[in-house]
Amino acid sequence: MKTIKRIYLGLILLFLYIPIAVLIIQSFNAGESRAKWEGFSFIWYGKLFEDPNIMNALWITVSIAVLAALFSTILGTLAAIGIHAMRKRPQALMLTLNNIPMTMPDIVTGISLMLLFIFTKVERGYVTMLLAHITFDVPYVILSVMPKLQQMNKNSYEAALDLGATPMYALFHVILPEVMPGVITGAMLAFTLSLDDFTISYFTTSPLVQNLSTLIYSQARKGIKPTMNALSALMFVVLLVLLLLVNKRTDKQEQ
Amino acid sequence: MEEQRLITLENIHKEYDGVTVLDNINLYIRKKEFVTLLGPSGCGKTTTLRIIGGFENADSGRVIFDGHDISGIPPYKRRVNTVFQKYALFPHLNVKDNIAFGLKLKKIPKDEIARRVDYMLDLVNLKGFGKRSVDSLSGGQQQRIAIARALVNEPEVLLLDEPLGALDLKLRKGMQLELKSMQQRLGITFLYVTHDQEEALTMSDTIVVMNGGKILQIGTPKSIYDEPNNAFVANFIGESNIFPGIMVHDELAHFCGGDFPCVDSGFGEDQPVDVVIRPEDVLLVGEDVGQVTGVIKSVLFKGVHYEMMIDAGHSTWKVHSTTMQPEGSRVGLAVVPFNIHIMHPMENAQPREEEAQ
Repeated sequence: MKTIKRIYLGLILLFLYIPIAVLIIQSFNAGESRAKWEGFSFIWYGKLFEDPNIMNALWITVSIAVLAALFSTILGTLAAIGIHAMRKRPQALMLTLNNIPMTMPDIVTGISLMLLFIFTKVERGYVTMLLAHITFDVPYVILSVMPKLQQMNKNSYEAALDLGATPMYALFHVILPEVMPGVITGAMLAFTLSLDDFTISYFTTSPLVQNLSTLIYSQARKGIKPTMNALSALMFVVLLVLLLLVNKRTDKQEQ
Repeated sequence: MEEQRLITLENIHKEYDGVTVLDNINLYIRKKEFVTLLGPSGCGKTTTLRIIGGFENADSGRVIFDGHDISGIPPYKRRVNTVFQKYALFPHLNVKDNIAFGLKLKKIPKDEIARRVDYMLDLVNLKGFGKRSVDSLSGGQQQRIAIARALVNEPEVLLLDEPLGALDLKLRKGMQLELKSMQQRLGITFLYVTHDQEEALTMSDTIVVMNGGKILQIGTPKSIYDEPNNAFVANFIGESNIFPGIMVHDELAHFCGGDFPCVDSGFGEDQPVDVVIRPEDVLLVGEDVGQVTGVIKSVLFKGVHYEMMIDAGHSTWKVHSTTMQPEGSRVGLAVVPFNIHIMHPMENAQPREEEAQ
């Protein structure tokens, strides 16, 4: 029975990770063929960094992820503080409204944002993609700051006012320091989500402004180049590390 | 005497979602007085405190502080400080920085801050704890830091919201005495909120008994214990036997089937009254000499005394006595006139009496 359990688990993991393993192995293949192993090489990784299209997409991806994380963290943290201060019923309503966009399929979010930009006659490009990323990041930030606010002593803010702090001073010197772990987790989560988003980016940018995932998609339609293997492998590793970090933080906070 | 009144509450009314939590509260607090708001949970005592602290605003009525109406003034501009029920220390600051929080905001020079923080740590018996994180302290120590953090600002009034509620009994008793002596040494007005009647009796100069958003009685601990205004106060402060009775004429009451001489007068003749007798004031005497007789139904050993329930026909008496009578025996009950307290039935709050003027 024990061996069956182990084999079953092994099979599941195999199916989950074989595609990624193939991808990573292929990225080290010296030849261009996907069917034949022609020796180990870093050649495609080198080419990756010589390709101006890819370097441009990398810059767009990272800058959007940083800016989206920054703005969504500010907006989300302030929103969480506001929602936390509400009375029970409106608070429950706001949290439900906050959860709906997260459960919505990306394609629906992407298309609705695209329609919004078309309707308001905003030309799609870098700014619209950034706005879209901020939009889908904010609920996650709210969700990671909220528990920290709930753990906080409910008199902490009042104690600061009582000791002579203005509401602004209390926000920066009492509330923010106390919820900071949640804020950082939220920022990391926002950064990660923004980094690996394809669907929403695809609908909210123009073909001239490509991030890495939309670039990979458009290149793949023309036939997969081995540089794409290398790029995908790199993205996988970076996202894996980021997700591990976020998970570790959340675990620590729950203790 | 007017200038002695530091805080005056005038006709304070407060509702939450249509439910009245404070109903026409009138109260004044003198300088250097230790005033306790006492009542069961939900009686409005904490709301009253929060209105004085500035964390809530009354729907109507005024809060006068030192001659000025401070209703609507935010908490950070009031000359009061608060000790919260669950301490509300700032976990990201160490003990020293917690205490220094208010002083830093007042732009006091660094060396003076250090001096005053050290003095406070000494006052609350936590010398040398300055660098510790607040999470490393026990509940009692955290409570002392919370008190130090408030007192270091030299407030004119210290508001304390059930500050000892989370401590165990022994620690609580110790802190009661410490708080009282601190208050007397520093000469600061204390407004204290508690549901613990013993705590209120031990510490206060004046007790304000509240229930259902109303003030039921204001007085010294002794006057509230000895002369409760109504059945609620009598029951809440200590244990009581409360019997419905008739005031036959001045200094004679009839209840539980017996005539009892008492010292109260001015209730009229043949008027319905409530009679309060503390369990420790009931004397167990021989069956033939008691004012009423009864059968002992139960005996409980309580340490200092025995608590006996005595069935006297239509009434049950709770009696505390250091000598035990066996269950089932018939005894006589007697009460000396001085220990019988007569109240108007369901009497409402009376304005605070000016004592000794």
